Amino acid sequence: MALGAGWVGFPYAINQRRPQPVDFSHKVHAEKAGTKCEDCHAFREDGTFAGIPTLDKCSGCHAAAMGTTAAEKNFIDQYVTPSREPQWADYARQPENVFFSHSAHVKRAGMTCESCHGPTGASDSLRPYREDRISGYSADIWKVSGTNHGMKMADCVDCHRSQRMEQSCLDCHK
Amino acid sequence: MKTTRREILLFAGGSAVGVLMTPAPWRLITDSALWSENWPGIPRPARGAITAKYTNCALCGAGCAVRARCVAEQPVSLAGVAGHPLSHGALCAYGLAGHHLPYHPARVTGGPVEEAAAAVAAAMDRLGENEHVAVLDLRPGRTASWTYRRAMAAVKNGVYVAADGAAAGLAATNAAIDLWKARTVLSLGVPLLEGWGTPGNVMAARAGFHLIQAEAVESRTAAMADQWLRIKAGSEEALGQGILQALGGQTPVAAAEATGIAEQQFLALASELKQNGPALVVGGARSQSAAQLNEALGALGHTIVARREAPVPDGWKKAAPVVDLASVEDGSIRVLLIDESAPGAYLPWSAVEPKLVRDNPLVVTLGWTREGYGRHAQYLLPTGVYPEVADDIPPAVDSVAAAFRMAVPLVQAPEGVVKPEEWIAKAAGLEMADTLRERADAIHKAGRGTLFTYADGKSVATKDVKIGDFWKALEAGGCWMDQAGPAQRPAAVKAAAGATRQSASLADDLPLVAVLTEAPSSPLLSKIYQESNLKLGPKQVAIHPDEARAAGVEDGARALLETLAGRIGVEVRVDASVPRGAVLVASRAAVLDVCGAGVGAKVVRA
Repeated sequence: MALGAGWVGFPYAINQRRPQPVDFSHKVHAEKAGTKCEDCHAFREDGTFAGIPTLDKCSGCHAAAMGTTAAEKNFIDQYVTPSREPQWADYARQPENVFFSHSAHVKRAGMTCESCHGPTGASDSLRPYREDRISGYSADIWKVSGTNHGMKMADCVDCHRSQRMEQSCLDCHK
Repeated sequence: MKTTRREILLFAGGSAVGVLMTPAPWRLITDSALWSENWPGIPRPARGAITAKYTNCALCGAGCAVRARCVAEQPVSLAGVAGHPLSHGALCAYGLAGHHLPYHPARVTGGPVEEAAAAVAAAMDRLGENEHVAVLDLRPGRTASWTYRRAMAAVKNGVYVAADGAAAGLAATNAAIDLWKARTVLSLGVPLLEGWGTPGNVMAARAGFHLIQAEAVESRTAAMADQWLRIKAGSEEALGQGILQALGGQTPVAAAEATGIAEQQFLALASELKQNGPALVVGGARSQSAAQLNEALGALGHTIVARREAPVPDGWKKAAPVVDLASVEDGSIRVLLIDESAPGAYLPWSAVEPKLVRDNPLVVTLGWTREGYGRHAQYLLPTGVYPEVADDIPPAVDSVAAAFRMAVPLVQAPEGVVKPEEWIAKAAGLEMADTLRERADAIHKAGRGTLFTYADGKSVATKDVKIGDFWKALEAGGCWMDQAGPAQRPAAVKAAAGATRQSASLADDLPLVAVLTEAPSSPLLSKIYQESNLKLGPKQVAIHPDEARAAGVEDGARALLETLAGRIGVEVRVDASVPRGAVLVASRAAVLDVCGAGVGAKVVRA
């Protein structure tokens, strides 16, 4: 019973779940609209990564409904029309003391988004965000859904070692 | 079924062992560690777009141009601006960490603002015929300084007192030093290469002059000078007088003995200054020798020139005159308002206090820390600090032309802080508008000089810029520079008053001579300094081992530093690099109240 509680009950209890504000389908956008990751998750002119797109980006296409889904209608009514920014929960948010350069990994090392984030781009809906009740970190830090790795320092170090890339404290902890 | 105690204990033990074989305890340990890294008191830098903003550093009188890298509008790193005509891309260690200042642990953010205003109003009402209301401005020459002058002109018996700057022994506020024209520079203990003037300008001009540093200790300036004259501590004035004698063809016997420099060396120095001109002598603000040497060497009008002030609106010119503290009658100030929000020259309290009336004077200081005059004032009103507030920075001592540039706010000031010029103007009943904008408009109206914009590194003639664009450029950190006129002798050159008030005492009861360490400490580096003893702390002194033995103190001992002005508790550091006969003290307000450069002092066991 203790083993069951520790292996099943505890991981469930330690994380609190909350839904994303919008039922977003990466799959629909990739397949029907033909968008690529970088169309929305863009790099700025200075090379820095803009992360999750702001409402302006979405409003460019969804000022009016493009389809007939309830999710899109809800998104336009709740956010686009009143110009209210959706409060997305970031699955991959790192602690404040970590500096991570998307540019170095994507543009220089040529890595794909899936390498770290898993098959998010093929998902039909956004899974609930799971936040550790004690540390406040995303549960994906321990294990990214659909992969066999996490986003902890040990995961970064393992990958750098396997690729024979440089690794020093100041690379990430500026 | 009956459950026995043995079964309960077995169940509990088995559960405990079982739990250890699950992720639960280990995850709890990790999570607790992570939580402790992220507890609510830890500041969280904002995330967002990365932008560059430009401003001018207000941490000292240099006003170096600054490029701030901002993330989501929050400055996260500062750097110099390459190609800037005044600061030449340089930014000192203090300036590089300037954006940390708002978070300084000694910051004061609350104070009795209304109570102080009422007290000032009441004190002004009962002002006697021969009593004054005075503003002491630690950084004169700003637009705020003009507000103070106008405010003091608007009240009964108002006096505007400007703290004198350290400029070649000259008290003239319109004097500037042209290092680019000098071929030989004699520095009488001035930290010329350690943040004096505009550091970038000094270093850029450095290759063009031969630097002779006269100093008792091997400072960084002494180490980098072409020649270091190792004189006895506190003998800078004697050295200057000896060189004057040598220039007049006399043999400086007494000066040689006082300084430890050979007579022949005086003659060689005089010859070099005379023949390898234009020459310049840089001393402290109270150095009479520097003033006399510059006069004798013909530096006035060549390497020391008159500088026009940036234009001001005509309506401002009905203002109180600028006076220095020494010219204020003792016991005459009933209400003293001190603006120490912008770092500037600190006048020791022992010089300020005699100017106050004997019975119940009112002192209000406006500053961001309690470490300055706040220790002596009845009211300390909190002010914003760089880079929270908009303020202009007067041209530095080595800027030969007038300049107008502003420290542009990069972060928001906390609630409850006051703007000193607004508070003092209100106390004086002076109506105020946007004075910086008014000043900028007056400069634009005059049509002189050029506007330098940092983002594109371009200079444009002022007359070719529209008035709205001129202000926008200044708000974006731009800099207006006056056109340099023909080199002229400064109008009000005189040796600063009080030059010998605290000259070195060689009396037996004060056997040591104080030597100040001048370099400011960066808020970023202060913790490292404190922990590593790389720099003297606020209440530390350093003496030679022989002097420590004579005083009966050991390294790290508590002691008293005594001077004619008073005494202060200090911690002693024993350092063989400090010359015999000298005591090295940190240039901090608490120490400066009793101990200035070159004064006689002694260290006694506490």
